[in-house]
Amino acid sequence: MPHSRVSSSGFRFSRFRFNDFKFIGFKFRIIVPVSLALLAGCAFVTAQTEPVKTASPSAVVERGKSLFGQNCAFCHGREGFGGESGPNLIDSDLVASDVRGNKIGPVVRNGRRETGMPAFKLSLQEITALSAFLHAQKQKADSHPGGRRGVSAADLQTGNVEAGKEYFNGAGTCSSCHSPTGDLAGVATRYRGLELERRMLYPRFAKATVTVTTPSGQTLSGQLSYQDEFTIGMTDESGWYQSWPADSIKYTIHAPAEAHAELLPKYTDDDVHNLMAYLQTLR
Amino acid sequence: MLTLLFSCHLLAQGLDPATIANPPADSWPSYHGDYSGRRHSPLTQITPQNVRSLTLAWAFQTGQPAALKSSPLLVNGILYFTVPDNVWAVDARSGHQIWHYTYPPNKGLHIGHRGVAMYKGWLYFTTPDAHLISLDAKNGKVRWNIQIADVEKGYWSTMSPLVVRDHVIVGVSGDFDNLPGYLRSIDPETGKTQWQWDATPPIITKNTTSGGMTWMTGTYDPELNLVYWGTGNPTPVLNGKTRPGDNPYTCSIVALNADTGKLAWAFSASPHDTHDWDAVETPVLVDADFGGQPRKMLMQTSRNGYFFILDRTNGKSLLTLPYGPVNWTLGVDGQGRPVPNPEKEPAPDGRIIAPDEGGLTNYRSPSFDPKTGLFIVSAHPSWSIYFAKPADGAYGWAGADYGVWSKGVIEAIDYRTGKIRWTHDVGKDIFAGVLTTDSGLTFTGDIAGNVLALDTSDGKTLWHAGTSERMDTSPITYELDKRQYVVTGTGGVIFAWALPESEQ
Repeated sequence: MPHSRVSSSGFRFSRFRFNDFKFIGFKFRIIVPVSLALLAGCAFVTAQTEPVKTASPSAVVERGKSLFGQNCAFCHGREGFGGESGPNLIDSDLVASDVRGNKIGPVVRNGRRETGMPAFKLSLQEITALSAFLHAQKQKADSHPGGRRGVSAADLQTGNVEAGKEYFNGAGTCSSCHSPTGDLAGVATRYRGLELERRMLYPRFAKATVTVTTPSGQTLSGQLSYQDEFTIGMTDESGWYQSWPADSIKYTIHAPAEAHAELLPKYTDDDVHNLMAYLQTLR
Repeated sequence: MLTLLFSCHLLAQGLDPATIANPPADSWPSYHGDYSGRRHSPLTQITPQNVRSLTLAWAFQTGQPAALKSSPLLVNGILYFTVPDNVWAVDARSGHQIWHYTYPPNKGLHIGHRGVAMYKGWLYFTTPDAHLISLDAKNGKVRWNIQIADVEKGYWSTMSPLVVRDHVIVGVSGDFDNLPGYLRSIDPETGKTQWQWDATPPIITKNTTSGGMTWMTGTYDPELNLVYWGTGNPTPVLNGKTRPGDNPYTCSIVALNADTGKLAWAFSASPHDTHDWDAVETPVLVDADFGGQPRKMLMQTSRNGYFFILDRTNGKSLLTLPYGPVNWTLGVDGQGRPVPNPEKEPAPDGRIIAPDEGGLTNYRSPSFDPKTGLFIVSAHPSWSIYFAKPADGAYGWAGADYGVWSKGVIEAIDYRTGKIRWTHDVGKDIFAGVLTTDSGLTFTGDIAGNVLALDTSDGKTLWHAGTSERMDTSPITYELDKRQYVVTGTGGVIFAWALPESEQ
């Protein structure tokens, strides 16, 4: 089955439309023809209006189902319970907190660049239909809990607490950075089940910092906002973004979370389950 | 009037299918550029010495939210490329649109599209609802429209067909349902089926597998008259309990007679797959020495993390080695096939697995450079967790999996040893394909949206240009009016790169 993390070309439209300037730093690094494409995309989107139609609730759900099948099913599964790389939406906080697309809409139209979710150019009416479909699916799932799919916290209780604690303090070297009474105090209250396990294996949202020595000898530090082979982008304490050609500066990236990646080839499945058992005691 | 008719005759345009085997420099007449799938060009105008001057010749904006994932065809100065439901014909010299065809709104997954195929004056375009459309290449008018699979059952299609003489060979996609995969040969004139090869039994019975989708373009050896194709994963996808055994011919490389569809041989790249690792990656055909004797080889960097070299006359293994982290096997058997570790099948409490479900590579094209003997692939070293429990059932996906960590890297594998000669980091992920040229250049992209030209001998960057969107396509190259162009698609824009006219 084709790879799922479909492209993010739709960002072109949505970034402008929703004034999401989060990535402004590198967006304007681009060359002229792309800037033209961005402007063209802008003009294209503003032309979009739709007549207001009234449709029966079941027809809206059906329309949502069809849209979901065409656009979302590859990653999130046809029923919304998760598929190739996309999470289960039916038990997600997003769908639980959504009212007629008010929470789902911005995510669909902006995408989530950090997780690889592309943006989709859908109308308000289409978002409403998608939302109606997802809520109908959730209602169905909630009323038949036995048949529910996906990973629940109950599935992740096969490990041994003592063995996990030993691994944490020993072979896992976790305790060289973490402490159960310090940064990890109450971690099992903040995150549960699969989310806790994924963050334990690799905290994919962890931010890196960078220290830059500029050609003039000035030393600056901040959050690493952008990095490729050619450009280093940094956001300083006051929130300003600045960038340099990577070969014009000296820089040091501090990304302690990357130590998690080095552990991945070393884990046995038991290590993972035992560590989970231990972390779940840190309430 | 007479003069006009005469000149029309002279200018009559189209593609003689015989030229696909030996494409002239001013063409890119099939998905892979030629039948070998090497995505290597003999062109040498752009060199490691002058590539730093490479500049934009033109850009074409599709104006569509869907990302380009297609390889353009170039025939008679016209580029043809696609996104789902859309085909464009664009002047390859200037980038201006000649025509644009749109297929009506339809069911079926709009996940991506790889491009069209051409035979004489006709284009062949697959649709999300699994139809094959024949278009008039002059104007994009529909000539005929046939169904190749039933969208109501759960099939869709994204692939670019392979034209071999008077056969248009098309494949199908579908993973949400337990469906048989197949490959079909269609008559280019009438749209009638000439033959069909079934990857799995058309009727599913107890303890048999379904799946084996044929969703990428294969390659062809005219001398052996064999078509080489990769097949996709078995279904149910993550639960293998209802389909014991090796599950032929899923996750396999198969050789079929081009005229009859009869199976010549099959090689199982992932026996009894439970991780969605299709073996559809380009079966690259290389004629060279191996182990001291000349061989007709087939090479594949497979999604499951293994680099395979087969003797393509008989399907026998010459080499099997991983090209990145893999932890799901007990080793390799006597036939060169990885042996899956039953302990690494998805389980209720999760199994940690490398690579992730997207695989160590995927549909993006690798390239083989004959001068250096390097097989260059954009790889995705990665880790993930796989789950399956009885409540997930035995239909369709039947489980869940989550990526944990990944990076993107361009790797150059020396085919003689399977060892990695150089690597080039391209970010946290990668979707760009690879093209090499005889002058010693490797064209690809990084995850940030830079188009890259690397030195094939050592992987060092020689040129780049930012486009702000990652590349989901594989580059192509051609020469028109004595000017070499490299064409890349990123986001919804096609970029044609060339040397400044003063420097050619």
